Amino acid sequence: MRQSYKIAIVFLIVMGFFPLFSNSSWLAVGTTFLIYSVVAFSQDIILGRAGAFQMGHALFFGLGAYATAILNVHFGVPIIYTFIPAILIPLIMAIVLAGPIIHLKGDYLLVATIGFNIIFIQVIQNDIFGLTGGPNGIFGIDVVRIFGVEFMSQTAIYYMSFMLLTLTLLIMRNLDASKYGRAMFYINKDDIAAQSMGINVRYYKLYAFALGSAIAGAAGSMFAIQYSAVSPEAFNVVQSIMFFTIVLVGGSASLPGVLIGTFVMFVLPEIFREFATARYLVFGLAMILTMILRPRGIWPVKFGNIPNYLKKDTK
Amino acid sequence: MDIFLQQLINGLTVGSLYALVALGYTMVYGVMKLINFAHGDLVALSAFAGLTIYVEIFGEGTNSLFIVLSVFVITALIIAFVGVLLERLAYRPLRTAPRLSAVVSALGASLVIQNSIMLIWGPNMKIFPSNLFPSTIWNLNGVVFTFTQVMIMGISALLMVGLYIFINKTKMGTAIRATAIDQDAAKLMGINVNRVIMTIFIIGSALGAVAGLFIGINYRGITFDMGWTYGLNAFVAAIMGGIGNIPGAMLGGILLGLFNAMISGYISSEWAETFTFVLLVVILIFRPTGILGETIAEKV
Amino acid sequence: MKRRLLKLATSVVATSALVASLNAADVIKIGVQAPITGKYANEGQSIDNGVKLIVDQYNAKGGVLGKKIEVVSCDDEGVAQKAAICARKLVNAGVLAVIGSYTSGATEAAQTTYYRNGVLQTSDGTSDSLTKHKYWTFFRNSFPNSAEAEFTAKYFVNVKHYKKIAVLSDYSSYATGLADATAKAIKNLNGNVIYRGKIKSGTQNFTAVLTKIKSLNPDVIYFSGYYNDGGLLRAQQVQLGIKADFVGGDSNDNPDFMKLAGSSAKGTYLINVPTPDILPYDIAKKFLKDYKAKYGMMPASIWTLLNIDGLRAVLYGVEQTKSTDTKKISNFLHKLKGFPGITGPVNFRSDGERIGGGYMAYEVQGDNSYKIVYK
Repeated sequence: MRQSYKIAIVFLIVMGFFPLFSNSSWLAVGTTFLIYSVVAFSQDIILGRAGAFQMGHALFFGLGAYATAILNVHFGVPIIYTFIPAILIPLIMAIVLAGPIIHLKGDYLLVATIGFNIIFIQVIQNDIFGLTGGPNGIFGIDVVRIFGVEFMSQTAIYYMSFMLLTLTLLIMRNLDASKYGRAMFYINKDDIAAQSMGINVRYYKLYAFALGSAIAGAAGSMFAIQYSAVSPEAFNVVQSIMFFTIVLVGGSASLPGVLIGTFVMFVLPEIFREFATARYLVFGLAMILTMILRPRGIWPVKFGNIPNYLKKDTK
Repeated sequence: MDIFLQQLINGLTVGSLYALVALGYTMVYGVMKLINFAHGDLVALSAFAGLTIYVEIFGEGTNSLFIVLSVFVITALIIAFVGVLLERLAYRPLRTAPRLSAVVSALGASLVIQNSIMLIWGPNMKIFPSNLFPSTIWNLNGVVFTFTQVMIMGISALLMVGLYIFINKTKMGTAIRATAIDQDAAKLMGINVNRVIMTIFIIGSALGAVAGLFIGINYRGITFDMGWTYGLNAFVAAIMGGIGNIPGAMLGGILLGLFNAMISGYISSEWAETFTFVLLVVILIFRPTGILGETIAEKV
Repeated sequence: MKRRLLKLATSVVATSALVASLNAADVIKIGVQAPITGKYANEGQSIDNGVKLIVDQYNAKGGVLGKKIEVVSCDDEGVAQKAAICARKLVNAGVLAVIGSYTSGATEAAQTTYYRNGVLQTSDGTSDSLTKHKYWTFFRNSFPNSAEAEFTAKYFVNVKHYKKIAVLSDYSSYATGLADATAKAIKNLNGNVIYRGKIKSGTQNFTAVLTKIKSLNPDVIYFSGYYNDGGLLRAQQVQLGIKADFVGGDSNDNPDFMKLAGSSAKGTYLINVPTPDILPYDIAKKFLKDYKAKYGMMPASIWTLLNIDGLRAVLYGVEQTKSTDTKKISNFLHKLKGFPGITGPVNFRSDGERIGGGYMAYEVQGDNSYKIVYK
């Protein structure tokens, strides 16, 4: 069994029992951690695995959240059914938006994705079609009801998020074992070489975008349920930068790395709320230091899926 | 017509500021292939530092050419120093690291500077005194421009011409251009790459400092997080013009300022940002290296 | 092993529940949800300070119902998403009532959470939509936008006889709501709104929009947004040589407006409920004196005082009902009539709306003092 599987299982067990030992405020932090971990993993598919510099991921997270909020609040669709469009809409938008720019090199792609994120924010701020609620967003999102049973306690929402993360980890595992995962790995290593080997770089990069965005959309839906409100700032470029940073600080394409990244970027600030004003300063310093001391992230991936006899040559 | 000319002046003023800031991004990118995300925050820092220097050293209410000039020079020196420090501490150790590590470090530096401003000067808006520049206003057939606006456009143009000459006519300028083309080759030719990089950080930060002071003097209210807005716009300007290309950054800045003003004035201020970024994406799709950028094949 | 774990878990849960219930018996917790940092920091800090001052005064007298009052503050930065997070935090902290927030948007984002958890909330938010749900937990301590809109329209059309009116807002629900209501009220009085536009808060450069307005040649520019943009708008308006009057809605009533507008502040009109210093009530004078003594400055604006009245009404409700049952207190407050407030008598309607309200128009003088020009 690979090391990352063991870590994943231990992690899931710990998180599964966490509610037993925690009060509802920490449970809320725990829920947010789970949701953001899902987003971080989805960002990792695009950035860490396919190597596409995506700095607008909050757009897809937000699309999912707004899909749930709009369908539920304006059209009265029960939350449970809104999951499907919350996954499909980001997926389709990812293909539509990333399609024309997927060939852009590194930093140019990064800027274009920032641009998309900013356009998205302006669209929802302008209350398009009277649906998005403008700068204040949408309030009063319903609780999840299944067969008339209300799941509104923090514990219930926690376990829904937990299920979502478990599902995401399963998808990641299958991805790693599939030809898609391998193709992304090669593209990330060297896209020109991959292209000349006959890998359709464009196709696989788009695939990563679509998959990552769909997962982010599901997390967005969960986020809308957790806060029963969505608003533009939760999905702006600053958030995108956070997701981007999580992956790189933790370690791209590394399961424990992404988890540590999420913990460091989202949970630590909660714990250090007392030092409210100074904490982001420390945070910035820590980002610089981490990169200097561990340029590949806190827990970099070990190239487990390269056969040993090939390993000698890699730097 | 006068309305159109007025919008032209409005656009040129903001455009000049974007251009000044964009130069900092483009020079660093040209030489180091790094998006210096902290550059916008240096601009904000400059506004705060300048305000403090003015109030603490010269006292509020005082005003003369000497004082204003001193505020600009001292602030520019301080910000240039911070810029060099930033490069030393946050970027130099990462020069050989994967490119994204440097990007994260730049983002971290941006957080550090922004929050230092907040800790030092507080989270509330600070307000520049209104008497630093004369409040002269000219009115030509209904087209209004202020002394401050003329200074912003004039000084920016002067600085840009100066920079252009520096880059193209001096030894250091040649070294900068050589380093931008190929760092390793430049090293082999005996160019001190560290000095080149230090120089571009000094120049870029000082230009940003001038922009920051102009922002404070013209718009008066400054906030610790304002660097982000200017930084982003300037950065977009740099990309539109062709990142790494100095005249491109100037052109990009001016064009972006004008484009914004015309969109807000004639189409819709509510959608101005969307237009800007749609334009950016269109430029990237059809001319990925920007308006003035050269179309060179990426090295393999 | 498993059983031991379970035992451990149950004992942990049991003790924490016990500790929580002990806590609950000891103190009454009052939440403050306000923009303590961010754009509206000086309003938020003032509200937070004001609440702490009143609570200290209560505690010095032995608290309420023999229990000490404890303040739990949460900074929503005036941002809806942060407000939603604050709401969860304060609910989880077990507060009885929440004072705030300052902006309507942040208030509305938190409203549902308080309602679902039976936590009282009193806010100065003026959006009409705040009371539309008729949540039993919500009490507005200020007066709704529609009242201000009608006053403004009357002033513009019947008093100033403006022929061409330009209306500007930012994007917030409060400012767009106020601007739309005002435009509608003006039209109802057969006034002429020639322009309705929005600016993006915090962008500093409004010259493009103002130039556009200039081309329409209005008699007055009405801005319904906040002071940090209002002051700059006014300064740039004068710079561009636009002769029109400038009238600011209630949120422009802040010292920073004058600072930003500088010499252009003179001649600006502001519309708001009475400013703190002209309130005729003794409790108002006492509050201002105590506030000044404790914090060395005056409260940022009338909004602090309105929120304080909300707090005082809630505490009065606790005392009168001799209970911390929010439902009981709410029933009591809905029938509250003529409670002596700092900002005048406090009366609530059954939907949580505060009844009353007397708007005034002020003209800013050369020394930044206000002159009442219409009421």
